[in-house]
Amino acid sequence: MLLEGETTFDDAPFDGISFDLCSRRKDVVMVSADLSKYTQIIRVKEELPDQHLDVGMAEQNLISVAAGVAKAGFVPVATTFAVYATRRAYDQMVICMGTGPHTSIVVGFTPGIANPARIHHQAAEDLGMLRSVPNATVIDPMDGTDFKQALDVAVDLPGLVYMRGHRGNTPRLLDPQRFRFELGKTYRLRSGSGTGIIATGHATQWALEASGILEDRGIDHSLLHVPTIKPVDEAGLADFCFAHDRIVTIENHQIVTGLGSLVAEVVSDVGGGPRITRLGVPGSWAPGGTLPYIREQLGLDAAGLADRIGEAGR
Amino acid sequence: MSTGSNSRVRNLEILAAKIRRNTLDICMQRGGYAGQGVALADIAACLYFDELRPDGRGWFHDRFVLSNGHDAIMTYAALAEHGSYTLEELRTYNADGTKIDQSPIEGQLGFEITAGSLGQGPSQAAGIAWAERQRGTDKRIYCLFSDGELQEGNVWEAAMFAAHQKLSNLVYIIDNNDLQASGATTNVMSVEPVPEKFEAFGFFARRVDGNSVTEVLEAFEEAKSVTGKPYVMVCDTRLFAGIGCLREALPMAHYVAQNAADWEAGLAEIDAKIAALAGGA
Repeated sequence: MLLEGETTFDDAPFDGISFDLCSRRKDVVMVSADLSKYTQIIRVKEELPDQHLDVGMAEQNLISVAAGVAKAGFVPVATTFAVYATRRAYDQMVICMGTGPHTSIVVGFTPGIANPARIHHQAAEDLGMLRSVPNATVIDPMDGTDFKQALDVAVDLPGLVYMRGHRGNTPRLLDPQRFRFELGKTYRLRSGSGTGIIATGHATQWALEASGILEDRGIDHSLLHVPTIKPVDEAGLADFCFAHDRIVTIENHQIVTGLGSLVAEVVSDVGGGPRITRLGVPGSWAPGGTLPYIREQLGLDAAGLADRIGEAGR
Repeated sequence: MSTGSNSRVRNLEILAAKIRRNTLDICMQRGGYAGQGVALADIAACLYFDELRPDGRGWFHDRFVLSNGHDAIMTYAALAEHGSYTLEELRTYNADGTKIDQSPIEGQLGFEITAGSLGQGPSQAAGIAWAERQRGTDKRIYCLFSDGELQEGNVWEAAMFAAHQKLSNLVYIIDNNDLQASGATTNVMSVEPVPEKFEAFGFFARRVDGNSVTEVLEAFEEAKSVTGKPYVMVCDTRLFAGIGCLREALPMAHYVAQNAADWEAGLAEIDAKIAALAGGA
């Protein structure tokens, strides 16, 4: 399901995704808190103004106004940076969107270390916050194709859907002709034995990079992409884990409460199983700077990941 | 400005008295927010039995959003008169396992939002008002919240949005009772002057006596004549207004425990008032 050949990049994935969705679904409203330009909602704002609503720089208002919009028959897609949606307006997400039946989508952009400004702009705990909300759906797509298809599914789901977004310079990895996003489904991007790598979101991009190095080094491994953090196919996830000697999880998130914790919980529910090594932001504030610099500092660059996966498999 | 016939006012005053009685009936079982329910009875009578237009199917065409969940007692007591709840089921208020939450959850009859986390109703009501206008409906949106809630920043974000969007289909009703959990609002964190603050945000604002059916009706009428901006009625109320013995005994009772009030004295007083109103005295 991966595209072959040299990787190409989309400079503004959400511009096309949001415009296509709003063109097809006249009940969808893109709601922004002064960040349309920075989440790349360009054409909807200019060409479909009735489906664009800016509440100003007020994230509690973003979520609660959007929740009201949902209660009057529209499907709001509330957009901001992941930090603001989760840290600033978590209560509004849980109470205004998460306790009723109306489809209410929140897209958190520049999640984790995908934002260069350290600490205050880096939401590396958002997945954990949202996956502990009863009945919420949590999705961390790996590229624009995953993002687009997941959003197309989300607009018909009940209640609160939290999704991480991609903006700018996003690699095209999945083949839109062969990939079909299904809620909860996991996707095996490489089949092998020995070490099983499990990744989500931006980290699946990094895992693919590391996978290439591991292949060059002759280290057998598998790679599983888990775009849906909640609800996930737990049986499928457990089957993958128990089919490998070692499991390495990689996430653009703190190594607690996110994907690594999810995998550990699934394995421990069964009992026994492989050792799990969790890679991500390791319980400290991540540094700021360019993404390659931050990844290198955290050992999440391609070479660093390949080394750590290789060590975990020994 | 006219509010119509004396009989219209008289009928609403009788309904308000019955709502007060229902409030006591419900709260005397296990305690509750009785002071607020009694104080809001006149607003509730005007809202549910005069202002909200019927939809012809037993419910309402217009939409009411309760923001401060503990004032749900007002809605329960009013909807008992409406016939949507029985007093028997409402008497389970505050009981283990009841569906009659003191602060309601979205989806319960009469409640558009989950209303226990304060400060979130005004913005949800504004979102509903924006969306109803986008849909081209003539629905009017009413949202009740309290003076204490004005201390929540989300309320002012909502006010800014509602005025910017010129939501003339939106009416905020503020229960301005100068009381919050730990004491008088004036002492905890003063919120006055409330009308002037909303005017500065771009609202048409009116201060009214929240225990005067006539003034409440006048404000609702005025709200419909305002164009290009949302309307706020700042309703001055006081706990237990309309039942003198309880008002005197419990002037600061944010919450009334079951054994903390002379419920029978309150019932006797309101029963006498109902009889007097019905008799035209």
